[in-house]
Amino acid sequence: MNPQDYDIVLKIKDESDIAVSRQMAKNFAQKMDFSLADVTKIATAVSELARNIYRYAKEGYIYIRKKEGGSEKAPAIEILACDRGPGIENVELAISGGYTTSERSLGLGLAGIRRLMDSFHIESEVGKGTVVIVEKRRRVF
Amino acid sequence: MDKKEGATMKNKVVPTIKLYDYLLVPIQIELDDNTVERLQMQILHEIHEKEVRGIIIDVSMVDVIDSYISFVLSETAGMAKAMGCYVVICGIQPQVALTLSQMGIKLKDIITAQSLEDAINILDKLE
Repeated sequence: MNPQDYDIVLKIKDESDIAVSRQMAKNFAQKMDFSLADVTKIATAVSELARNIYRYAKEGYIYIRKKEGGSEKAPAIEILACDRGPGIENVELAISGGYTTSERSLGLGLAGIRRLMDSFHIESEVGKGTVVIVEKRRRVF
Repeated sequence: MDKKEGATMKNKVVPTIKLYDYLLVPIQIELDDNTVERLQMQILHEIHEKEVRGIIIDVSMVDVIDSYISFVLSETAGMAKAMGCYVVICGIQPQVALTLSQMGIKLKDIITAQSLEDAINILDKLE
């Protein structure tokens, strides 16, 4: 992965970075002409990803880019969130929804992101870190 | 800013309006985690100080509500309930409702209303 391939690189280190990343994602999705509903879904998904980084890994990065869909298809937004945090022990359980290791949480973050986006890919290794890649294609009306 | 600071009434996160026995909380700022936590403390203090029997949180200006914000709002409603006060949220934008529902988030302990008038009517009937 090359950071230079991405349009936006966000470092998540402070709690306030969650709101900043949400706002950046919202602006970028708006610029890409996503519908208002999809802009909200994308901003919410980025908010969840940023919070997971801040809460569990303390710091990490979020990369955002526009992916051209070719002549026939509409473009998509790709969001990659990565950290060198503790990793997730049971990924299946974490993305199933309603499970959390944190006290103040609904445990719906990852499950919610998966439902909001078109594609969802996660890789995590205990002690090494977590990478989540999601995509949302712009709908053609 | 730490949580203790947020607990004092000197620095309110959201300016509120007392209306009959109710407290109107119009949110017109970006809700980050720290802000929503301070808002929770502010609301609990105002229930205690002003003896309000209903809180109306207007979120019509809020364009993103994620799982943690929902969690804190529900938690606040649960706490308010323990103090004998109902919490009504009004004005959730359609795209926010769509996102919350698709994520599987339920606003526990919270009464929802379409508008401010609607919220007041609901609270009047509860008394």
